[in-house]
Amino acid sequence: MSASQPPPPLALDDLVVLDLTDEKGQYMGKLMGDLGATVIKVEPPGGDPARRIGPFAGDVEAPERSLYWWHYNTSKLGVTLDITKSEGQALLKRLVARADVVLESFQPGYLDGLGLGYEALSASNPRLIMTSLTAYGQTGPYKDHLTSDLIALAMGGPMASSGYSDEEVPGAPPIRGTGNQGYHTGSHWGLIGTLVALAHRDATGEGQHVDASLHEALACTTEAATPHYFYLKRAPMRQTGRHHAQTVTPRTQWPSRDGRYVCAFNVPRNVACWNSLTEWMAEHGMGEELREDPKYRQAFLTGARATPEIDAVWRGMGELISKLTAEEAYQGAQRRGYPWGAVRSPDENVRDPHFQERGFFVEVEHPELGRRYTYPNAPAVMHGTRYGIRHRAPLTGEHNEQVFSKLLGLTVQEMTHLRQQRVI
Amino acid sequence: MATPLPLSGVRVVDLSWIIAGPTCTRVLADFGAQVIKVESQQVRDTIRNSAPFADGQQGINRSGFFNNVNRGKLGVALNLGHPKGLDLLRRLIAISDVLVENFSSRILEDRWGLTYETLRELRPDIIYCSLSGFGHSGPFRDATTWGPTAQAVSGLTLMSGLPGQEPAGWGFSYMDNTAGYQGAIAVLAALHYRRRTGKGQWIDLSQSEGGIAMTGTAILDYTVNGRSFRRAGNPPGNHADNPKIAPHNTYRCAGEVVIADGRKDGRWCAIACFSEQQWQALCRVAGRDDLARDPRFATNAARLQNQDALDAAIEQWTRQHDPYRAMETLQRAGVPAGVVQNAEDKVERDAQLRDRGFFLEAEHQEVGKRLFEGISVRLTKTPGRIWRGAPLLGGDTDFVLREVLGLSDAEMEQLAEEEVTAT
Repeated sequence: MSASQPPPPLALDDLVVLDLTDEKGQYMGKLMGDLGATVIKVEPPGGDPARRIGPFAGDVEAPERSLYWWHYNTSKLGVTLDITKSEGQALLKRLVARADVVLESFQPGYLDGLGLGYEALSASNPRLIMTSLTAYGQTGPYKDHLTSDLIALAMGGPMASSGYSDEEVPGAPPIRGTGNQGYHTGSHWGLIGTLVALAHRDATGEGQHVDASLHEALACTTEAATPHYFYLKRAPMRQTGRHHAQTVTPRTQWPSRDGRYVCAFNVPRNVACWNSLTEWMAEHGMGEELREDPKYRQAFLTGARATPEIDAVWRGMGELISKLTAEEAYQGAQRRGYPWGAVRSPDENVRDPHFQERGFFVEVEHPELGRRYTYPNAPAVMHGTRYGIRHRAPLTGEHNEQVFSKLLGLTVQEMTHLRQQRVI
Repeated sequence: MATPLPLSGVRVVDLSWIIAGPTCTRVLADFGAQVIKVESQQVRDTIRNSAPFADGQQGINRSGFFNNVNRGKLGVALNLGHPKGLDLLRRLIAISDVLVENFSSRILEDRWGLTYETLRELRPDIIYCSLSGFGHSGPFRDATTWGPTAQAVSGLTLMSGLPGQEPAGWGFSYMDNTAGYQGAIAVLAALHYRRRTGKGQWIDLSQSEGGIAMTGTAILDYTVNGRSFRRAGNPPGNHADNPKIAPHNTYRCAGEVVIADGRKDGRWCAIACFSEQQWQALCRVAGRDDLARDPRFATNAARLQNQDALDAAIEQWTRQHDPYRAMETLQRAGVPAGVVQNAEDKVERDAQLRDRGFFLEAEHQEVGKRLFEGISVRLTKTPGRIWRGAPLLGGDTDFVLREVLGLSDAEMEQLAEEEVTAT
């Protein structure tokens, strides 16, 4: 790339966003920063509580070493500001006057109590979009309930669909997938609301308050479970490693030779796939009966479900997988046109040639450590505007000078005073 | 007076199927975009054939699954194998702002000669959003995938389960829902950029990359600390991942609920204590001040060490209570807790969703008035709406061709005669 080439355009680089969120909503601000907005993460003096969430770089617990903080705060600037003090509130209001969007995730009413609610902030900036991402929303009988990622995934419904078949692990509880999916889903919806509000503002100049909740975000993130109840009046049952269902469906998760698992399902029910599957079995000295007795082929081709013949086909498939490594099964199935996947650990993708070629994993500079680390980038490649990490998460108060003196024009004396008062 | 629709004036040609793409366009439709779902009599969205069906009767317009995800869209059926059908699709694209599809890479080009370049010739500022399993570049671009494939490969499946058991995974295509949201976010950002600059673009969303983006800090733990998520003790079940706190689990409660197939499912309440204060409050409401004084549970570190005994002690209390009662009691004492709710619970027992009117009714042209999942974010001035259920197959062909494309009676008759619009 030549030095004269202009930097790639950014979709949201006309926006200033104040991010007051805790761990529930920091992903919203990260995505806005990765989309190009100037996102100012506002932390209490001493640092955001999310800096205490692990894992930590080198397993050293320290505010600048939280990988949780690193991951969820890329492409943001960082300031410290005590919004419980009146001078801090005045300063926040001066920032809000220059902001397009405020993101927050306090308990409903908390900011109102500080004189920093939507009514107060929008009075002087009617274009302001304020997005509140809470557990249950700004109204309703549960609005003051406390939550967590686990509790949100429980109440919202994903857990009731996920776990083990009763026959296989009797008494197992419903299971939540780890990785902060409750917070991710809440943040996705909070961001959708913010960007839709932006469309309205672009058209009319009018801002608004966006009331997002983990609960409602997750309540529609269960695929067919709610239609099952709407139409059949029965919630689906959980099944090991596969979809919830009204009746027991065949296993789709099979152990491989290397002690891993393969998600093996939806083999297209056509002649080519029957032939390729049974030939693949033959290569491993298996499946003679399936090839010789036409009833199996017929069951496969007619789309039979839950018959002894088709069950035998699936068992044969499982036996085939037991002779292969998970990667052999995955690559071999994909070559044959079956939608199988190896059950990988996330990190097993870092060196995958496909993701390498697409540049999904990116190196991010940590100048304070003199190191670069590999991060996962944005979920989509946008060809017209860059979508991805622009720089690492801020150190505590790293941009106080830039934001308070340069942007707001505070004098050296004012800055010193605010530091002494522990406002910043 | 009706509130303004924030995406009014945005027209979307929707060639997407199943769940991921239709979830993306559902978001756009709920907020007022005109979403034109193009199918043909021969080649239809296969979710039309998916249970559950209204009143137990199968039919291409009777799937409740389809109805929920395609509400508020217009349905056009065109024979795209006929040059005139393809021409009508191209004319629709020429007057649209967004095109969404979720075929495997190259299908759009192979079937209909549509690439981003040809789309741009039709509509220079088009926003083209392709959602596919692996994206449109790279050696695996032609892979065949469904939601569970992306979940398996990305790591999300492995990250869900009890330690020492095989993965539980996700009981549904979480990555179909999620790729729909990720796509909608990218499209909305691209629309903002286009309003500023007049420029459209191509969005290439890879569901498996979207899945890796959902694995939290697992990648950094590997690239910074060299630690794979695949290790003893992982996945942690419902125990805390990070921050490491205890108690943090689902606890069996009193009672049962009838689910699919007449089976009975247990009742569970999730509890998470983030502070000593919350832990002590839990002991108090459970009438177990002895636990608060027990050295095995005196500190968070001790509780993590003795988690099985801790969980058993808590479960002794929860087993005596209905899960909602346990949740309310704990929440009143300031302890984070929530019922593991299934779909029936959300519709029938969830006081919050009821109070906020989350589930909405709308009319479907064949199956009548039905319930729908609501719009999951509340915009106070422009809340959006569900104006109708999902379209009948080709149910809006006439409206779209006449009112949107401006075809005459004579042209419509000709198209019908040549079996472009009907068979």
